[in-house]
Parts: sequence; structure tokens; C-alpha cells
Amino acid sequence: MDDQPIELDRRPGRIEVSPAAIARATSRVVLECYGVVGIADRKLKHGKAELLDDQLYDHGIKVAIQGEQIVVDVYVVVEYGTRISEVAHNIMNAVRDTLQRMLGFPAIIVNINIQGLRISV
Amino acid sequence: MTASDAARVPKRCNGKQLHAVVSTAAGWLQAYAPEVDALNVYPVPDGDTGSNMSQTLRAAVEEGAACGETDAGRYAAILAHGALMGARGNSGVILSQLLRGFARPLASRPTFSPADLAEALQEASATAYRGVAKPVEGTVLTVARMAAEGAMRAVTERAEFRHVLDGAVDAARVALAETQNQLPVLRQAGVVDAGGRGYLLILEGALRYLQGKSVLAPEPVPSPNGARAGATAHARLEHAGTSAYGYCTEFLIAGRDLEEESVRAQLAPLGDSLLVVGDGEILRVHIHTDDPGRALSFAGGLGRLRKVKIDDMQAQHEEFAAEVEPLPRPQDGRGGNRLESLPIGVVAAATGPGFARLLSSLGARVVPGGQTMNPSTEQFLAAIEACPQSTVIVLPNNKNVISTAQQAAGLTEKIVHVIGTATTPQGIAALLTMRLNDSPATMVEAMGEAARQVRTAELTSAVREVEIDGLRVHRGDLLGLLDGTVVVAGHDTGLVACEVLDLMPVEEYEMITVYPGAEVGVEAVEGLMAVLGERYPRITIEQVEGGQPHYQFILSVE
Repeated sequence: MDDQPIELDRRPGRIEVSPAAIARATSRVVLECYGVVGIADRKLKHGKAELLDDQLYDHGIKVAIQGEQIVVDVYVVVEYGTRISEVAHNIMNAVRDTLQRMLGFPAIIVNINIQGLRISV
Repeated sequence: MTASDAARVPKRCNGKQLHAVVSTAAGWLQAYAPEVDALNVYPVPDGDTGSNMSQTLRAAVEEGAACGETDAGRYAAILAHGALMGARGNSGVILSQLLRGFARPLASRPTFSPADLAEALQEASATAYRGVAKPVEGTVLTVARMAAEGAMRAVTERAEFRHVLDGAVDAARVALAETQNQLPVLRQAGVVDAGGRGYLLILEGALRYLQGKSVLAPEPVPSPNGARAGATAHARLEHAGTSAYGYCTEFLIAGRDLEEESVRAQLAPLGDSLLVVGDGEILRVHIHTDDPGRALSFAGGLGRLRKVKIDDMQAQHEEFAAEVEPLPRPQDGRGGNRLESLPIGVVAAATGPGFARLLSSLGARVVPGGQTMNPSTEQFLAAIEACPQSTVIVLPNNKNVISTAQQAAGLTEKIVHVIGTATTPQGIAALLTMRLNDSPATMVEAMGEAARQVRTAELTSAVREVEIDGLRVHRGDLLGLLDGTVVVAGHDTGLVACEVLDLMPVEEYEMITVYPGAEVGVEAVEGLMAVLGERYPRITIEQVEGGQPHYQFILSVE
């Protein structure tokens, strides 16, 4: 993860937020989104998605700056049998709204990567 | 047990009977969907939980109706599938999981017993819980779990379906009231959980059917070849277009000892799609008829009429059809659209007929949408595909719609640029800067820049009491939004508008365009124009019809 702090504002003083803080906030929102089974490692292990423990989400959430935007990549495992497009869409909205409100910074792009599906019995 | 109970509550339930129960529940939910929408934590009228749940359940029931399945297990599976495909929004996805769980224990059972019903409700809740890593209590999940527990408690040797459902409904009601104590954000806003309320309505609707208090006239069965695949746009179009009657008439009757059954019987001969809902003191009536006058004068004899609303469905149909297909088709030989010959197509979402006409006159293919009825990915996708060009620019024109548009962009092979316009005036500004000779990249950049230059003030009424950011708001208060955020509350249109404009501050800009909403009278518009003219003598003020619902005025400043 890029550890350079993100500058939100220069006037009248400077405010910076670390990508790790943004990732942490993101993880909490993501885990409460309906259809999300868990945050997954962005690298597949033997071709399979690996679910991450609550505290180790940073391999599954990437926060970066591109130009004037904060780009958040989220890697998740989703419950089989849900409408994936709708679930992904809900995660995007929830993360973007929370970060916009929290940071007071409008330009936030959220990308969702579905690493795998869990089939519950 | 009365005769009607015997007919409606068999000892075992098959697919056909299950369909009747769920259809009624869907109707009951639909009737109250606007109320559920209003249970929004934020007081502006953009909640969509009720509409989303209702549309999801409607999609499920339509799938069920088309199959005509009599085997209960197979019918429940089809219902679950319909809900999955038609799921809309977070609450819709949860509802589809509930139905999926509901179907599970019923699989391979042609008929089921009241005890099986309790088990199915239990599995519905369990399945819904499995669909999320960190279940939040105080939501629809809690309500579903408590309802299932209530149903299980009601199961006895002699229990009938209605007893089991009664147990579920009672428990769900208690659970719903409790959501306020579980989630501080709900208590602060003074509401109960919207999804939980939606689920309770579904259970209540089912119970009403079993108790012989049916709320819906039998629905017209969709034609099997009608291909009603999800898209609400088409559903709406068909709804308006195929009714044999001309006017959609809605009103409330307030009186004493009103009898639903007799009112229904009296009104039924006047038209179709009849809906009579309520209790002894207030009835909500919805009917499609050619003679609204007769319906009203009959109802007027029973009590006071309130909230009378009559819509010309033929006009709606034509208007809606025009919104969907704003561009003259090439084979019409009319052409003449300034953007038709461009290398780039434009798709824009619009709320209200005024905005739709404006955007389409500027050459955009309009996707109808708005607060509470956000356009779906499918609608965007269809509009993008309908453009003759291989490169398409999309203007979502609403903060909540941007990601839907982006989603649609990812589903097509065309090159799509989504410009993040958060309000319709931003979209209009973007559209106006399109120049014929620019390269796509330059054009997209210029449009984004133009959109950012526009500030938007919106005036709407608070749908309920709430406190936000130290601002005490009462139901019906006027709210002023600056670029989508509530900044002012008050009572006087002119004052609220000026306060919002002063925050920009408007003096730094050159022009204000006033877009009056659908529900605003001429006097109110003239009043506001006069106030603005007096207060900002150096700024040009224009008025253009917007026709948007919910928002009395949208003001664009540039």
C-alpha cells in the first residue's frame, strides 16, 4: 500500500490522512454491506480467493491517489446466490458515501473486485 | 371459522395458493411503498427502500404468475429466482436472500403445512444472515429473525396458517419498534428501519389474505409472451398503455364504519386495477376508470375525500414513451437533430417532463429517473446500445445514479464516458458545451469542466421531523440544498432560496435559471421570480420548466 499521506486541504492549514486510515474505515463499511462474506487477499492463492481476518484487511483494500482523485480498490468474497452486480453497486455507494462524508472530499472512485463466491449449505 | 376462511386457509398449501398469498402481500407492500421510502434517515425525499423492495417482490410474483406452477416447492424456487433477477438496491438483495431461504425447506414438497411455513420463515432468516459478514442488528435481519421465532412459537398441533403468520407478524412488529433502540442513527432521525418495515408489510399482507381481508382485486395476468423481464420502465409503460381505462384515480375516504368489502363491490364495476386498503376510519382507494366522477361521487357519500389524484393514463403513456424514445428514428426521415450526426452519442437521466424535453432537445437520449425511482443499469444499458454511435457520453444527473451509470458503462462494448454530473443543471451545462469538432477526450474534459462551474440550489419539503447538523427540521418545513447537501430550513420559499444562494455566494455568478417543479403553482413561481429579481438586480434570471417531482424549485447558478 502506498503510505504517502493524502492531502485534503491547504486552507487555512494542511490536513493529511493516511491511506491506512482510509482503508480501515473502508473495511468497516464493506463488512457491513449485504452480500459480502469477507474481504479477500488481492492475490489469489492457488487460484482461489483467500478470506482475510478482520485485522488483516490491508491486503484486500488498496487506497491510492490518481491525479485529483482518491481511488479505493476493494477485494471481496460474495455470498453465492445474491445478485452480484447489485451487491457490488451497493458496496460502491456505501464506501463512497462514507468516505465523502468522513473526509469532506468529493472525488472518490471505488472499484470492486469479486475474488470469489461462497456457497453456503 | 367462517366459510371464507375455509376457502382461503386449507390445511396444506400448494403452489397456486402460495402465489395468491404472495401476490396479495406484494400488493400490500406496493401500496405502502411510498411510506417506507419516507423512512429515510436523511429527510430529503430520496429514500427508495420501499420502492426497491416492492419492485423486487413484484418481479418475483410476475415470474411466479408466468409459470403457473402448482407444486409449492417448485413455485417457491421460481419466486426466489424471480427475486434474484429483479433485485434492486440493498434491501432488494436482502429480500431475494430471504425468499431463497424460504424456498429451501419447501423444496420437493408439493404442498406444505403450517409447521413447514414456520420452518421456511426460520430458514429465510438464517439464509439472510449468512449473506453478510457482520450482520447489523436493528435492521430487516433482526425483524426477519424475530418474525421466524414468533412463527415457531405459534406452531401447535392445531395451528393453522393464519395462527403461525399471526405469531410472525406480532413478533415482527415488536422487533420493528425495537430497531430504534438498536441503531442510534434511527433514533436520531425518529424513524424505524425501512427494510424491517417492508418485511413486516409483506407478512401483514399475507396475513390479511389468510384472514379474508384481501386488499387487491385480482391482477391482470401478464401475457406469457409479454417478456416482462425486470425492467420497470417497460412495466410502467405496459401498465399505462394496456389498461382499458383512461384515468388512474386515487383518493382517501375518511369516515366512520367504512366497509372495505362493500366499497370494493360498489367500485369494481367502474374499472380495473382496483385497490381498497385501510381500516374503518380511513380507506385508500386506487382504480383505473373512464369515469372518475362516478367513483368520486360514490365515495363522497361515505365520508370526506382527501388527497384526490386523477391522472390521464393515455397522456402519461405518451409522455413516457416520448421520454424513452426522444430521438426521431432515422427511418422516419425527419432527422435534423444536431447531435445525431456526431461521432459521439449522449445518454442523460432526467427527472420530470420539462427536464426530459430540454435534454432531449439538446440531443440526448433520455433515461427517465429521479428521486425514489432511480434508473436501473438495464435502462442505461438499453439507451447506450440504442445510440447509433460507438462512443457514448453518459450524464447521470444525480449523485446516487453515477455508479449505476458507471456499471452500465462496464457492460457494453461501446466506449462510454460517464461524466459525474450530480444535478440536472450540471448535465445541461455539460451538454451545452459539446462542440462538433472536438476529439472525444477534449469534449469529455470540457463537459466535466462546464458541469463543475454550475452550482445548484434545490428546495424541497422535509418528509418528517429530524435534527441534522444542529438544524431542527419539522415535517413539511422547506429545506434548501446546496449542491445536494441540506444547508437551510425554513418556511418561506423566497427566504430559503436566497439563503442558499447567498452561501455560494451568488454575486460571483452571472445567471440564475429557475426550474419550477411539477407541484408548484404559477403564483409561487412568480413570487419567487419577483423576490430574486429584487434581491439580485445585477444577475440575469431565467425561468425554464423543470416538472420534477418532490423538489418545488431547482435553481441553477452559473
